[in-house]
Amino acid sequence: MVVLRSTSDLAFRNWVLEQPEGETLLRCYQCGRCTSACPVAAIDNSFNPRLFLQKILLADESLTEEQLVWTCLTCEQCEVRCPEHVKIPHLLILAKVRGLVGGNTPQGALDRARAILAGGRTIMVNESMLKTRDKMGLPDLGQPPVDQIASVLKEIGLAKKLETVESVYGGGSNE
Amino acid sequence: MSKAKTYTYFPGCMIPFRLPHFEMAARAVLKRLDIELEANPGHACCPEPTTFTGVDFDAWVTLAARNVAVSETTGLETVALCSGCFHTLAVANHMIQEDEKLKGRINERLKTVGLKVTGDLTVKNILHVLHGDVGLERIKKEITHPLTGLKFAPHYGCHLVRPLEATHMDDAEQPMWMDDLIEVTGAEVAEFEDKMSCCGAPITPSDEDKAFTLTAQRIEKIRASGADAIIVVCPTCYTQLEMQQKKATAKFDPEYSIPVLYLGELLAIAMGMKDMVISNARRYHRVKVGPLLEKIGGAA
Repeated sequence: MVVLRSTSDLAFRNWVLEQPEGETLLRCYQCGRCTSACPVAAIDNSFNPRLFLQKILLADESLTEEQLVWTCLTCEQCEVRCPEHVKIPHLLILAKVRGLVGGNTPQGALDRARAILAGGRTIMVNESMLKTRDKMGLPDLGQPPVDQIASVLKEIGLAKKLETVESVYGGGSNE
Repeated sequence: MSKAKTYTYFPGCMIPFRLPHFEMAARAVLKRLDIELEANPGHACCPEPTTFTGVDFDAWVTLAARNVAVSETTGLETVALCSGCFHTLAVANHMIQEDEKLKGRINERLKTVGLKVTGDLTVKNILHVLHGDVGLERIKKEITHPLTGLKFAPHYGCHLVRPLEATHMDDAEQPMWMDDLIEVTGAEVAEFEDKMSCCGAPITPSDEDKAFTLTAQRIEKIRASGADAIIVVCPTCYTQLEMQQKKATAKFDPEYSIPVLYLGELLAIAMGMKDMVISNARRYHRVKVGPLLEKIGGAA
């Protein structure tokens, strides 16, 4: 059964359609092959890619507040099986992005993003790692150009967003 | 001896600093095949494709495009040993090729650091290099210690292979290139259910229990094939299937374990560089590889 939560505002759907590869959404005719292909759906029937796509089609922004969108593996098994080659994991990525301001982002994801912006890497490189590389005869890789990262992202303003956003994502099992 | 070929090496974060035995094995094997890897100090985190995308996709594709643009300046083909890095660079490169508006927007941003992305770069993974550029015949000539009598399960991992339009791999559901490389070593390829299923790692930040349920299913299916070891390309798959294997096997048989080798390690062993693999195994393998390597026998 289709329950339309928000009829007045197509903002979410329109935003998705404007994003690169977002318009692939419109090829979805709700056949459900994505869900039958999905390894997460196979172990948790509350995870249903077909219904996620339906929510985006219906501009139901509540999807962006659902923790479940973050349990997509991005394995693309759904996309491989989709007869219309809808970019399903990418559309769920867009739902995740849209949920950032509300804090529906796992703490681990925020930490990684902050590390990348601050140091140009997902991990903190320490002395012992550098020594190990040296002992193994592997070349020095230098320091990533953090100033360039800041510069190319200035217009997007991600650094500012990350300063204030707090994760309200519970993580762990289903609520 | 043919002349050495050089690729721009995209190092990423995981391999060079957490799993440097991947890089060491890959470099040693490639050297035998007259290939050099040259890092470029302009590169930074790819950024990783499983969580950063969902924080800010526009930022992800912009930073990826910056790395692609840096690679373009080298005039060489780029190889990323890490599947996550490969996926990010290949997907961003593909999107730039397909979407002029996106390319224009990104180039406005890159202008601030004196870079430009054209989309002309060739981004490769280790299978493109070994299977495609070097070729099985050439690799066969370097196999001095055939792994006859052993059976290996190729775990390709998702991001190495999909989406095909960006990765330019052979098949999204039944890829064969790693199978072929295992066979070249003289070993047998294990047949198991769900060849392309995911290791589970991408959802550990959001739901660790579900992640390891998937990992457990994966290992159980490989176990049924009677494989002596799992062969991987991706450092994240390696972390999940090897370093964290106990968390997965606890779900079905805490007594069970199976060695996991990086594809570069497998080839290094077959090329007579067993000692290197053994010395790195102490630090970087939690599942003992000793018994497996004894089966191979012979001096290293």
